[in-house]
Amino acid sequence: MIGVGKIKQYSNVLDKPLSKGKQEVSLSAFSFLFSELVQYNQTQVDNIAELERRLEDAGYSVGARVLELLCHREKGNRRETRLLGILSFVHSTVWKVLFGKVADSLEKGTEHEDEYMISEKELLVNRFISIPKDMGTFNCGAFVAGIVRGVLDGAGFPAVVTAHFVPVEGQQRPRTTILIKFAEEVLRREARLG
Amino acid sequence: MIVCVAVVGHQNNPLYIQSFTEADDALKLHHIVHCSLDVVDERVNNPKKSGPLLNETFLGLLYPTENYKVYGYLTNTKVKFILVTTDLDVKDADVRNFFRRFHAAYVDAVSNPFHVPGKKITSRTFAERVSTIVKAFGLSSAG
Repeated sequence: MIGVGKIKQYSNVLDKPLSKGKQEVSLSAFSFLFSELVQYNQTQVDNIAELERRLEDAGYSVGARVLELLCHREKGNRRETRLLGILSFVHSTVWKVLFGKVADSLEKGTEHEDEYMISEKELLVNRFISIPKDMGTFNCGAFVAGIVRGVLDGAGFPAVVTAHFVPVEGQQRPRTTILIKFAEEVLRREARLG
Repeated sequence: MIVCVAVVGHQNNPLYIQSFTEADDALKLHHIVHCSLDVVDERVNNPKKSGPLLNETFLGLLYPTENYKVYGYLTNTKVKFILVTTDLDVKDADVRNFFRRFHAAYVDAVSNPFHVPGKKITSRTFAERVSTIVKAFGLSSAG
């Protein structure tokens, strides 16, 4: 619930309407908190893989709770049982609640049946982060990957979720892609449901 | 009169059981809740064509025993809410309303960062809210 991408910006906070509205947190507050989270974890680990795993674990608990909250608040009485259903739920509803807009795109992987990709031109959490050269392919989007994994796991679709940078010509900063690889049993169940 | 409410996790482990009468044996209520889990699983895995949709959360009356009625509700994360009541003429809308408020209290309890998913719910606030909802249910259906 970050105040980014609002249609109408109020120059004066006193002009904002008094209606309840949705809760929003300022972008700078969240960025500071996230940078502290990364820095704290960096002092606790020795290598990059461990750092990525810790960020992902932090995101996992967020994802589990977000799923409960959203299902109660937005979804009314429906429970997602189909693969495409849960993917579009993550892609639009979850993204909208967390980042204020839907994700840029949702694609199906071409090499494997069980891979799907959600891509975003600039992940909100990465907006004020630049990775030093010696950290290689580390991506703070591991936090968002953890959130997606928490949501999918809670809904009954176990998956391995990772975040990658995909360089795009014409753009200075590379695009971020969240790669979702579903477990065997999900595909079997999906095939059985027809 | 609501006799007992229970929250059961997705691996059928109990997360919260609370009974609201002193008269009845707590063990018997636990047993009733446990049996109703089988009915829930059966409803979820073998949907009747004429029954509720596969992905509906409110499961309705699970089964009536000698003097109890058991209602079930399934959330998106396979967490089940079980309600045991002795009323004979409970309206469907009342039960749905009850489960909606119960779900809200449950979501608030789970959002606690110190709550470990899969462990019992130890929040006192949750217990108080549940008691309030149960009392309100008793009043609304009596009137």
